[in-house]
Amino acid sequence: MSEELVMPRLSDTMEEGTIGRWLVHEGDAFAAGDVLAEIETDKATMEFQAYDAGTVLRILVGDGETVALGAPIAIVGAEGETADEAASAGNGGTTQPPQEEAAAEPEPEPKAAPARKPSKSSSKAKAAVGNGSRSAAALRVSPIARRMADEAGIDLAAMAGRGSGPEGRVVKADVERLISSGELTRPAAADASPAAESAPAEGEIRELTPMLKAVATRMTQSKQTVPHFYVESEIDMTRAMRLRAELNSGLAESGDKISVNDLIVRASALALIQHPQAHRSYVDGKHVYHTHANIGIAVALDDGLIVPVLNEADTKPVREISRETRDLAGRARAGKLKQREIEGATFSVSNLGMFDVANFEAIINPPESAIIAVGATADRPVVADGEIVVRKIMRVTLSCDHRACSGADGAKLLLTIKQLLQSPSLLLV
Amino acid sequence: MADLTYREALRRALDDELARDPGVFLMGEEIGRFEGSYKVTAGLWEKYGPERVRETPISEEGFVGAGIGAAMMGLRPVVEIMTINFILVAMDQVINHAAKIRYMFGGAVGVPMVIRTPGGAGAQLTAQHSQSLEAWFAGCPGMKVVAPASVADAYGMMKTAIRDDDPVLFCENLVMYNVTGTMPDDPDYTVPLGRAAVVREGRDLTLVAHSYTVQRALRVADTMSRDGIEIEVVDLRSLRPLDAETVAESVRKTSRALIAEEGWSTYGVGAELAARIHRLCFDDLDAPVERVGGAEVPMPYSKPLELAALPLESKIEAAARGLLNESGIA
Repeated sequence: MSEELVMPRLSDTMEEGTIGRWLVHEGDAFAAGDVLAEIETDKATMEFQAYDAGTVLRILVGDGETVALGAPIAIVGAEGETADEAASAGNGGTTQPPQEEAAAEPEPEPKAAPARKPSKSSSKAKAAVGNGSRSAAALRVSPIARRMADEAGIDLAAMAGRGSGPEGRVVKADVERLISSGELTRPAAADASPAAESAPAEGEIRELTPMLKAVATRMTQSKQTVPHFYVESEIDMTRAMRLRAELNSGLAESGDKISVNDLIVRASALALIQHPQAHRSYVDGKHVYHTHANIGIAVALDDGLIVPVLNEADTKPVREISRETRDLAGRARAGKLKQREIEGATFSVSNLGMFDVANFEAIINPPESAIIAVGATADRPVVADGEIVVRKIMRVTLSCDHRACSGADGAKLLLTIKQLLQSPSLLLV
Repeated sequence: MADLTYREALRRALDDELARDPGVFLMGEEIGRFEGSYKVTAGLWEKYGPERVRETPISEEGFVGAGIGAAMMGLRPVVEIMTINFILVAMDQVINHAAKIRYMFGGAVGVPMVIRTPGGAGAQLTAQHSQSLEAWFAGCPGMKVVAPASVADAYGMMKTAIRDDDPVLFCENLVMYNVTGTMPDDPDYTVPLGRAAVVREGRDLTLVAHSYTVQRALRVADTMSRDGIEIEVVDLRSLRPLDAETVAESVRKTSRALIAEEGWSTYGVGAELAARIHRLCFDDLDAPVERVGGAEVPMPYSKPLELAALPLESKIEAAARGLLNESGIA
């Protein structure tokens, strides 16, 4: 009895997944626990393990192809069986909308999700075999539903795989429900700003990687829905730089090396714990207070970025922060981060100091409520005790979600970060 | 208004037309003294005599051909083929002559002939005597094919068919003959050919049928109505010309279409209608058009197998519920 494998939910936010590459071929036998494929989610590349032993009868989604969550990606069964037999065995069992199936599953082990087999798969396998192009159609809409949605100005993209019809097809009744609930109405802004997208310059066209797609989606969502405000400050890093030099000369033998960024992460973590009102997220009309400072550290990649998370930075000494950060950043560049290592940040640090930027403003990564943008540290003339002196000045900008904190909350948080960095021995206790 | 049987409605229509127009005459096997195998011509031989109610040998090709000749010469023959299964030996006369003559003669002469014949299954008459072949003829240009499903339509459409200037295959149904219904009192009552009728209104699904299957469709609609599901039943009445617009108007309202027929689905009435509906109503559909037909086998003799092969109410209801289920309803 052959069955189909479907695109699993490997991260909270993924709506589709890309087959990075198959590690098995059609006709290959595999054992439970074997890695069948590498799947790129919006956040990471993950291994897709077999739940049971079997034989690959047919691969439905090829390397590099992207399908919706719950869409069939392969048909597996017993050796000698064919996918066509599986198709003819189908006799119209009730199909579940794939999203429901995925949602009903417990959170998969982040390391590598087992390849799950839906209980009633034969009819879905039939559909998949019957029309290979179906796997690419993430959003299926009946004609009347499409027309009604168009007329009502409803964007159905978010309904992909979630309709009440077969294989998640969005049907008339779904659109009627959406209209009466007022959900998913197309934002006016999308219509108001067609100029930006209307006439792209000519050039090579490339698909976005899942990571770039996630960045595009999340940043757009953040800027469109999160009311940002910004507070800026200049921090005198003279003493911090001196402390760093002292620490590094002491640690030279150990191979550890403290960076300015490590000090900023530590200062931010300690400051966040002191200011609970600047350390909470606005989620569904409620404030979620965070007990530990999990600091996201933006790591630039060749094309794009990823934000690994340093958990409970408020409890970790600078040296530990430094070690962990180096490990995370290294694996981020190698594409080897695990799902749990890119989730759960409560605050982020984005540092472009190495590119000699004076200062910049960063976009908040929801549901975090703030992000600090760090510019270069440079020698600047400043007035101290009535004298003009040269100090090492670093400019920072804190972006805050105004639904989570007020301007004063943000300013107090930034002031504490500044005080800690200007009295850096406090970072060591 | 009076209640009478489908059989009696047909007999009255023949009687009225024989009385109205001396060019009308009947022809067929055992239709005179024996009053026809299904008694549709009862009393007419006695009333109009052997000149106008002519008995024939068992020679379908011969008497259909004779009817064509009479029609070409200006008479209005009504030829009875005992059941539609026996029309096959006259196929050349029907398709190559009756349906072609107006074209072959450059419009100078037509064939105003009616071929009456019952089809249908359910009486254990087995493979050769239980067929519903009307879709074959409905696919042929030059023919009109009608299949009334009510007493009033049987009366009104028979009169219109006799008065039509082109060949009409008038499909009756063996199971329908004893069905009773209301007959209009108006002696001039006629029903145009090529017009479907909405025989029950509903919002959730359009169920299209012809002939006796309309009766089944109405019973399914009754049953499902108890669950709050309102099915609109469209009686096609004519298969050619096909009134796809009335069907489309209904589907635009309900967004879902199911076609039921006693014939085989493959290349059948449902196949044709599904194509028309997809073209006319593409943007109105909420689910693929669905069909229910007779099982694609020669009709078995065994009663349980015969029942299993027929598109009974249970099968139509299951298909309707399947469609509604696909649409998130029921």
